[in-house]
Amino acid sequence: MARLYQVPHHAFMWLLLAVLMATLPHLMRAPGWMMVVVPVLLCWRFLVQRGRLRMPGKIIRATLMVVAVLATLYSYGTLLGPEAGVALLVVAFALKTLEMFRLRDAYVVIILACFVLATTFLFNRDPLTTVYVGVVLVLVMAALVGINHAQSGASSWGHLRLGGALVLQALPLMMVLFVLVPRFPPLWNMQLNPERARTGMSDSMAPGEISNLSRSAEPAFRVEFEGEVPPPALRYWRGLTYSWFDGRRWSQAAPQHTARLEYVRFPDEATPPWYASLLSARGEPEWRYRVIMERTGRQWLYALSVPFTDKSGVGVARDKRLVSRFEIDSTFDYRVESYRFPVAVEGLEEWERQLNVSLPSSGNLRTRRLAEQWHQEAGSDRAFIDRLLRWFNEEPFFYTLEPPLLAEDTVDDFIFRSRRGFCEHYSSAFAFMLRAAGIPARIVAGYQGGELNRLGNHLMVRQYDAHVWVEAWLPAQGWVEFDPTAAVAPSRVEFGLDQALSDFGEQAGGFGANLRRNPLFSRLSHMTDYMDFVWSKWVLGYNQDSQFEILSRLLGQVNPQRIAVALVLAGGGVVLLVLGWVLWRSRTPGLSWWQKEHGRMLRLLNNRGVPLTQGTSPQGMVDAVAVSYPSAARLLQDWQRCYEHMAYRRPGQDPELLRRQLVLLRRKAAVAMRGAPRLMDKEA
Amino acid sequence: MAVAIVRAVEAVSSVVLGKEEQIRLAVACMIARGHLLIEDLPGMGKTTLAHALAKVFSLDYRRVQFTSDMLPADILGVSVFDPERREFHLRQGPVFTQLLLADEINRATPKTQGALLEAMEERQVTLDGETRTLPEPFFVIATQNPITQAGTFPLPESQLDRFLMRISLGYPSAETERELLAGSDRRDQALSMKPVLGVAELMQSMAQVEKVHASPDLIDYIQRLMAHSRNSGLFTAGLSPRAGLGLLRAARAWALLAGNDYVTPEDVQVVLGPVTAHRLQGSAGGGPESSTRQLLESVPVVRRH
Amino acid sequence: MKALRRRIRSLYQRWLQHRIPPSRRVQLGQRNIFIFPTGYGFLFLLIAALLFVAGINYENNLLLGFSFLLVSIFLMAILHTFRNLAGVVLIAGDLRPGFVGARGALEVRVQGGSYPHRSLTLHWPGSPAEDVSVEPGREESVWLSVNLTRRGREHPGRLRIDSRYPLGLLRTWSMIDLDSRCIAWPKPLPGGECPGTGGDDDSGRQAQDQGSEDFDGLRNYVAGDSLRSVDWKSYARGRGLNTKQFTDPAEGRLWLTWESLTGHDPEIRYSKLCYWVLELDREHRPYGLILPDSQLDPASGAAHRERALELLALSGGG
Repeated sequence: MARLYQVPHHAFMWLLLAVLMATLPHLMRAPGWMMVVVPVLLCWRFLVQRGRLRMPGKIIRATLMVVAVLATLYSYGTLLGPEAGVALLVVAFALKTLEMFRLRDAYVVIILACFVLATTFLFNRDPLTTVYVGVVLVLVMAALVGINHAQSGASSWGHLRLGGALVLQALPLMMVLFVLVPRFPPLWNMQLNPERARTGMSDSMAPGEISNLSRSAEPAFRVEFEGEVPPPALRYWRGLTYSWFDGRRWSQAAPQHTARLEYVRFPDEATPPWYASLLSARGEPEWRYRVIMERTGRQWLYALSVPFTDKSGVGVARDKRLVSRFEIDSTFDYRVESYRFPVAVEGLEEWERQLNVSLPSSGNLRTRRLAEQWHQEAGSDRAFIDRLLRWFNEEPFFYTLEPPLLAEDTVDDFIFRSRRGFCEHYSSAFAFMLRAAGIPARIVAGYQGGELNRLGNHLMVRQYDAHVWVEAWLPAQGWVEFDPTAAVAPSRVEFGLDQALSDFGEQAGGFGANLRRNPLFSRLSHMTDYMDFVWSKWVLGYNQDSQFEILSRLLGQVNPQRIAVALVLAGGGVVLLVLGWVLWRSRTPGLSWWQKEHGRMLRLLNNRGVPLTQGTSPQGMVDAVAVSYPSAARLLQDWQRCYEHMAYRRPGQDPELLRRQLVLLRRKAAVAMRGAPRLMDKEA
Repeated sequence: MAVAIVRAVEAVSSVVLGKEEQIRLAVACMIARGHLLIEDLPGMGKTTLAHALAKVFSLDYRRVQFTSDMLPADILGVSVFDPERREFHLRQGPVFTQLLLADEINRATPKTQGALLEAMEERQVTLDGETRTLPEPFFVIATQNPITQAGTFPLPESQLDRFLMRISLGYPSAETERELLAGSDRRDQALSMKPVLGVAELMQSMAQVEKVHASPDLIDYIQRLMAHSRNSGLFTAGLSPRAGLGLLRAARAWALLAGNDYVTPEDVQVVLGPVTAHRLQGSAGGGPESSTRQLLESVPVVRRH
Repeated sequence: MKALRRRIRSLYQRWLQHRIPPSRRVQLGQRNIFIFPTGYGFLFLLIAALLFVAGINYENNLLLGFSFLLVSIFLMAILHTFRNLAGVVLIAGDLRPGFVGARGALEVRVQGGSYPHRSLTLHWPGSPAEDVSVEPGREESVWLSVNLTRRGREHPGRLRIDSRYPLGLLRTWSMIDLDSRCIAWPKPLPGGECPGTGGDDDSGRQAQDQGSEDFDGLRNYVAGDSLRSVDWKSYARGRGLNTKQFTDPAEGRLWLTWESLTGHDPEIRYSKLCYWVLELDREHRPYGLILPDSQLDPASGAAHRERALELLALSGGG
């Protein structure tokens, strides 16, 4: 190691900043020790550059690396998988900055920075992150420009400008590639994070869980309608059904010995009878729309009843909902057609009937008795249901986000004592009573409502729109949906959660909800929502299907030849445009920095009233100042000498030094002239 | 080297009083390999200056008083038959010298003028089909009376272009006048001057002039001056490329005289008048001096955009 | 195998000669610029490809976009790297001769166009490289050393100019023949009799005061001038140090002649003459030079020495 490579000082700040900013998003997610170690390593590197510290020796570096591996292993329990892998990459990257002995190492750091930067997208995909990554990439490019410009006199800002220009000029071509390069299905399946957080509706429900979800304003999904948008009262987005009740918790369930095809059918599978009957009963679709869903980590999808889709990998379930073959790990979009069946088209299998009337063998005795009594009094299922709904509506039931805790017999305690509850309480009680009366009933979980965004003409459904309702089997009509919550708080369905809660003297979760009521904020949030929507739909959700759709619209027909031709034409066109622009820009030579500096001095003198003509030479400027402001004459003379060095003499002096001197002298002259009175030239 | 040249300027100044600026210009013109035209009324010291310059550089010089009956052969030379050897041989005219003083050049007929000016340009003479090169260095210092004088043939513009500079001496100041009256005859003084510089040294400074650095910024300034003279409408005809080259050469020489090895815009501004005034005709009337001043004032020294 | 390689090389040289003919002034442009990715450039593309695969597999459009952006930056870098060399004008400049076996130097003037050209590396094959950056409209001068192997005019081969600016992903280069030649003086070979004729005696021990005959004038004192010839009187008057100059009549001065070194190989003769030129110059003694094809009248001084050395270098068609 004869001579250490020194990153040029004009490039170093960009390099360090790029490294820091590239690791920052990862540090925010990382375990605590990394948030300490990585900045400390970078500080070390900074002090090395400043000459305060030395680069660590081989042993220290090796030790640090081993410690980093062990710490990662300790924090994540593994070294494999994206999270642990990226964490290790980030630490190794920070360590690598302490190993820049040759120009090659600096290059490696830069390429690692690109890589670390890209991995940010594994975890964050919002527009803001994307902009951030773009900015950091500009810094990375500035650093790369800097280390390729070895001269000591180079200007840091010049590197940044060129880095920025390069990235900006590359953008159009990138967009062409983004649109046109064919998307393949994954080459092999990579499960990103097996134990990732799941959001949205869960596969079971206990009292208090939905109300918890309702405190979040996170987007759940967006819906873009073709044609008419259904009115609020019809916006029931089915996700899944809960058929099993254990006295407290409702869960999704299917009997053990039924084949999967009995209740879910995926596109490329044989057609079971229930599916065939659904298919044959279809008439004209009632609603056509496209759902762009945020990642949930779950398999169920949301749609209006009764949904059909041609999306690959998405099947239809017997309980009239859509199911994905895989868990939804990234933004997912699918087109749906929903049909209305006025009569029962699918039969009720015996196992299905049994499942949907089953109740725990004991508990909630008062409710059971009440249900049986009322069912007998009513005479028909329908009349019984109507009476129940009326009862919910007339009795003093309260709709609240903060229901009191319930005793062991949850339904009894709710109906006869607390009478304060959220949708899960009402639906749970309602379904329980139906089952107690022997009517097959189940709970449907999903979302109700959604806010119409006029900008994008799409519905935005958020977590606080989470809802559960009930569906009961009526022999003539089949499964019919009832919403007991609507009976208690009709405005929930018409106007959404906020309105319904305020009807009952309650406000939804604090600050956020208050803001939501502010018209300016709501306009703003509509806009950001629209941006998010466009982002999700066109950037995150741009996949094989939407690509095919767009390409067939653009090219008429999608085949490899046409795509290749389009790529060459559009890509070439964009490159030529940029080329033309660059050539046009450089056709007229720009002013050199000293010429600009001269212009600044000229303006300064003009502002101070020094008599000058167009053709006053630098020496003439000195002479004129000597008359008008004798006190500044010396400064001007020094300035002129520096200028002469740069503009007229044989190159020799360090340009950066001259530049700094010129600026300094001009500022000093400005100060000197500000204080002094102007003397008039006798001739002037 | 520049020091020796400066000594030459000082020596000439001791004879031609109070005209330091013009003398420097004349010397600059010479080391820029240019021919010089001195224009003034009779008796202003034109000839004295020319003599002094020849002496001070120890140049081999001839003086020709131009008259209207002069023929080209009187300047260039003539082939004469040598009866003894029975062959023609060339009798060289006064042009075969290092410094030719062409006094009152505008008294000669255009034909004679043309012959001289061609020799100036080509630095060679063709007689009877035989081409002979003129000595090196070769300067012409021509003097001229203002064209309003009777019995003169004004030099055509195309030929004026061959002179690198035109200067005029003007009346002496009161003080100088007194000194002139008190002292001895200036022309005699000039003729008895001691050389200050050898021919070799003169040649060496001529070579040095070419090495004076003209930065791209400066070239750009000259180019914009040229362009402005052509496009601004200030003049009936713009400056020729030859004038541009001459301007740069003269500016280099001026810079060398100032002891610099690079040209600054001031150097250009100083020599612009002498180099261009005789090549330009102001379109709005007015003397050539005011036109060149206008040119200088309207062209920014440093590019603005 | 070797023959084949030689043949290929000569074909390549011929092609280069045809494509970029020798010239004292060369402007770089499409015709004479080559460009190819560097190893780093390939690594960069490899990373982009990796990110592409990752993007496809994770079905992550942003990763894909990032990879496309890297590819686009690479393509834009082609343009910028090329542009960094295009428009540069190279002009053969001055030369600094040297002795055979040592190094001389050649000046290359580099002129920029309307935009800056940064981090250009210039070198002749086998010689150390120099870096230069040219601001728009400026001219930089670079002195490049040349190994001198043979007496005479040394052609250093094709000048190689290359650059990786701005991103180091691509290298762009040109190989131009500036038609510039350095002058190699013969290597001085000490010893032997002074190959001189004339003067007071053949060994060259001559009167120390140089040319006392004709006082010719004064010139500024130059380091190395004999203190004896300084005009002390004028120094005492405060006019600074001046050296008296005398003209030496040609008769009776020392002539170094090629003829007097019989029985030697021509190169050795030049080397010996060179030694004596340096020796006499060191002693401030005037000398002349007579070579088979040229002659230099006796004189002394630095300029004279340069002239003499140049004649020695170029004599015999060197």
